[in-house]
Amino acid sequence: MNHRRPSKRRRHSRLQRPQPFLGFSPFARSLFLTSSCSSSNRHSRDRSLSHLPSESNPKHAVCKHPTPTKRPSSVSDDDEDNEVNEKESGAEQEMEIIQADFGFFDPKPGDFGGVKLLLQNYLDNKPWDLSGFVDLILEQTTVGTVVKSDGGDDQGDEENDDEDDVYAVISALNLGRYAEHECIHELKKFLLEACGDENVKKKLRTLLEKQANEVGLLVSQRFVNCPHQLVPPLYDALFDEVSWATEDEPTQELRDSFRFKCYLLVTRIYMRKKVDQQKTVTSPDCNEAVVYIKAEDEIFQELSSFSFTFRLHNEQLVPYELRNYNLIGLVMVVKAEAVPKFRERLKSLLAES
Amino acid sequence: MATRIQFENSCDVGVFSKLTNAYCLVAIGGSESFYSAFEAELADVIPVVKTSIGGTRIIGRLCAGNKNGLLLPHTTTDQELQHLRNSLPDQVVVQRIDERLSALGNCIACNDHVALTHTDLDKETEEVIADVLGVEIFRQTIAGNILVGSNCTFSNRGGLVHPYTSIQELDELSTLLQVPLVAGTVNRGSEVIAAGMIVNDWTAFCGADTTATELSVIESVFKLREAQPSAIVDEMRKSLIDTYV
Repeated sequence: MNHRRPSKRRRHSRLQRPQPFLGFSPFARSLFLTSSCSSSNRHSRDRSLSHLPSESNPKHAVCKHPTPTKRPSSVSDDDEDNEVNEKESGAEQEMEIIQADFGFFDPKPGDFGGVKLLLQNYLDNKPWDLSGFVDLILEQTTVGTVVKSDGGDDQGDEENDDEDDVYAVISALNLGRYAEHECIHELKKFLLEACGDENVKKKLRTLLEKQANEVGLLVSQRFVNCPHQLVPPLYDALFDEVSWATEDEPTQELRDSFRFKCYLLVTRIYMRKKVDQQKTVTSPDCNEAVVYIKAEDEIFQELSSFSFTFRLHNEQLVPYELRNYNLIGLVMVVKAEAVPKFRERLKSLLAES
Repeated sequence: MATRIQFENSCDVGVFSKLTNAYCLVAIGGSESFYSAFEAELADVIPVVKTSIGGTRIIGRLCAGNKNGLLLPHTTTDQELQHLRNSLPDQVVVQRIDERLSALGNCIACNDHVALTHTDLDKETEEVIADVLGVEIFRQTIAGNILVGSNCTFSNRGGLVHPYTSIQELDELSTLLQVPLVAGTVNRGSEVIAAGMIVNDWTAFCGADTTATELSVIESVFKLREAQPSAIVDEMRKSLIDTYV
């Protein structure tokens, strides 16, 4: 029985001049973070509902509906929280909260465009078989999740599924199983070339060549300002699916291919540039040496067996608050045994916000 | 003939280039293979010009043009304007216009005779378009979408529009534009037609993800296939010498 209330309620249909929605940019995210530190009365209620997605193969994972339901007290006429209403003056940082329902779906071929967009910069600006890589992710329906907005159930029409924007993707690809594919070949080559340290390169080479059958490439990418409430369920979904696949897959070979001994991650972080001789006044949120775009990367790095960074070559638009930082690539190898610890720490890291 | 190409890792070639019957604009910064794909097809026939607009690479979406002229947004710098004026043939009028909707490529779709424009375009802009491009203008929406420049692309011989365009709308547009139209996709199901491909009267370039089916639809509606036996009989007959008397 579906207990979810309809996501669209329009009590007011009067036309409003569209306010600029700064949602999808690194700038908006830093704005959001700085304002969340200052606003006091915010509490989030996580409502987890058992809910069958509109796909033909229902996922085991539970759909999370992140709904921070702060009611702005000063706004009386527009108490409908469907519209984001950011005041132009900027002096009032009060942002209205909108209800957003996200659905976790199995990857399907229709998601090609959205997933490709998310993975556009996966290997810096090197031309490689990105389409083939995305196809691999979409073909592996047993392990992998795509997060889309979840309006499908109410409308009931299946044709619109292809149009949904993909907000996040996560998957784990066995490097040995897909070793013949050109995209994996190019990816391995890229990683070996990007690695500067000889010792690390030796370890990486062994991992990628001899032990490839036990290595899972953990691909996880999402829009920068995705609600953080999505992250623990996303990783739970992945690791649960991996363990279920070791039992449920039809052939022994496939079952073994999901018994990963370690996970390989390719991601990006901001690292502080060389500090000038003269001390410039920096704002409070710019004092750390490393800023992690995805919060879970910090936990991964602490639990990793080894990691290395590499320079990025393509044009970067760095937000003003992070002008003293460089965007660099980060590759980490995390042992599979560390995963339960990771899951625990992820929950506690993101639980208080 | 339609060719598949790629700009860095993006299949949105219509964003980084602009193709007309008189010239071709290409963004700076892509790999040489992008540029050389254009050179190979077009170098002997029309100039291929590398440029930026307003310092950006998304030139295909910022400018609108045909063989008569080129319209540039107000964000174009003076150097870029001068560079374009110098590089393009003299009969092409290059004009920078002051329009609030500065992504002209998204707002205007045109061939050498007709243009479809965004419904909110200024009256003065419409006059400039009619003057510089020498076209008849129709304010239209396509499949409910006001960005006509993004959702359709047409040449003097045919056109491809957003896949959700209804039959009535297709008929209506076809009458306005006087070319055959088909509703289809490019780049494996992408609905933003003009971002995924560029076309002129004899050649087209599509993103590398375009499937064989999409490519054959494109070649057929834009009449790019020259090697049709019927072409020899119908169009080339006069130039073929059958017998010497």
